[in-house]
Amino acid sequence: MSSPVLEPVAGGGTVAAAATAARRGFFARRRSREWLFIALLLAPALLIYLAYRVVPLLWNVVLSFSYWAPGKAIAFAGLTHYEEMLFQDETFWVALKNTGLFMLATPLSIALALGLALLVDQKVVGKGLYRSIIFLPYPMMVVAVGIVWRWLYNDRGGLVNYALQSMGLISRPIAFLESTQFALAAVMVAAVWQMLGLFVVILLTGLQNIPSHLYEAARIDGALAIHRFWRITLPLLRPSLFLCVILGIIASFTSFDLIYSMTGGGPGRATELLVTYIYKQAFTLTRFDYAAAMTAVMFALFLAIALLANRLSGGDAGKVDIAE
Amino acid sequence: MKTRSKLLVHAALITVSLIMLTPIYWVLKTSLTGENLFTYPPSILPVDPNLYYYVEAWYSVSFLRLFFNSVVVALIVVAANLVLNAMAGYALTKQFPGKPLVLGFLLASMMIPFHATIIPAYLLTSQLGLLDSKLGIALPALSHIVCIFLFKSNFEAVPASLIHAARIDGLSEWQILTRILLPLSKPAVATNVILSFIWSWNEFLWPLLVVRSPGQQTMPLGLVAFLASFEDTTGALYAFCVLVVLPGLLVFLLAQRDFIRGLTSGAAKG
Repeated sequence: MSSPVLEPVAGGGTVAAAATAARRGFFARRRSREWLFIALLLAPALLIYLAYRVVPLLWNVVLSFSYWAPGKAIAFAGLTHYEEMLFQDETFWVALKNTGLFMLATPLSIALALGLALLVDQKVVGKGLYRSIIFLPYPMMVVAVGIVWRWLYNDRGGLVNYALQSMGLISRPIAFLESTQFALAAVMVAAVWQMLGLFVVILLTGLQNIPSHLYEAARIDGALAIHRFWRITLPLLRPSLFLCVILGIIASFTSFDLIYSMTGGGPGRATELLVTYIYKQAFTLTRFDYAAAMTAVMFALFLAIALLANRLSGGDAGKVDIAE
Repeated sequence: MKTRSKLLVHAALITVSLIMLTPIYWVLKTSLTGENLFTYPPSILPVDPNLYYYVEAWYSVSFLRLFFNSVVVALIVVAANLVLNAMAGYALTKQFPGKPLVLGFLLASMMIPFHATIIPAYLLTSQLGLLDSKLGIALPALSHIVCIFLFKSNFEAVPASLIHAARIDGLSEWQILTRILLPLSKPAVATNVILSFIWSWNEFLWPLLVVRSPGQQTMPLGLVAFLASFEDTTGALYAFCVLVVLPGLLVFLLAQRDFIRGLTSGAAKG
């Protein structure tokens, strides 16, 4: 890169002009060096996201329109995989339905978490302890959580059956995870048990960020507690609620570990989610191309639902960006 | 009246806490007594607790190897996250052309769940020749975007005058990052270490895809293999569960505040 400092100053410039030019050159060089430095700082992280997020997403789309298996040449398949998925593969629809049902756990657990967060947010003794206990399941390894819940649901001495029987709610033990009727709900309970604390903690942070003078003003105006909740708490909690919704939706699309360790997708297809079905198609049947088409659909659904949730939460939820 | 409503709040919170703790208590109890398929009704309190099943778990799997593998992967992940996220976070505190593009790229990447990329990610790792290696297990987790933004906001909170003074004193940009900003951002460092450790420690799906040989298995893979070969017929399975869960719980209990701050930074507009 040629340095402008050494260039002759055009038009018989004065010393001052030369000095300005020199300074400009100095700053330009310094700035381009700084930009290089910034680029170097950013490069490794960006490279990882490029290689393991963005490129795979595009690659996945390409794969979904192709015939391809490891070691074979790639060929254009058009919409074949999508047609198979939508019109011939019944299991895809079952997995889609189950994923939708799994998503229903999100509003329920957010409502529950909101109730708990409001309780913990009171000036009660030991609120830190309550918060920690409710959050405790979250950092646990999901596979281990699944194994623990298998044992709780066991029909020969499992705690859940024992408790229900002693309360007189059921007369004979139920093999929850082996029943097509209960298996999915049983897994969802385990998922809620693990996620609840995260929601509580997020909502608590949101609650604590609401300026207290708003409540005081409302109280002076004579607003009832219920009105304060609807008019102040809920609207101002929107970004936190949106974050919970997104995390819940992500969980329903990614709860692979729990299904794998609790039911393996069974009995039959009763707990098959999109993510577990994709895994089976890709990595046990080596149908990477077909699984890629399902992945593309799964991602499109995820984006659509996330955008919808954003819209429903008032559109300003985008402001939650931690980049702000 | 006021004390009564407070009592109600406590009653509700205690009930929920008990429900949350029950599964944890139950697995602990089972791991200590092995009371399993053979006793009905189950006893609520542990009868004759002993460590037999922990010994059995220790000897039925090559526990140390699993532990070692998990630790090595976690070390790679934690170290890389610290370096890469701090670097990227520092870069984002500066003005440069294309910054909105970079921010957009990061936020968009954040909306891509890793599970939606596993097939090409697997093929890519295979192309790189990193299948069945610890680096291959660690690679996709070498940087977490949440932590980049955490560093960014922590760095931005450092007074500009301090950085200016350091610059006048002749510190290079790199030295400003390592000697001024990082020591002043201990909370971000702690959060970064804790989150990347726990995420790496608990990761299951990716190692399941990448690992081929038993020699490279991490803890969760060992646990699932154990489940597959013994079913739930032995207390050792639950002893194994307790051992596997312990590091994550310990880290959380020791550094709760940093942990929770990291997870809620999105809600708090960090």
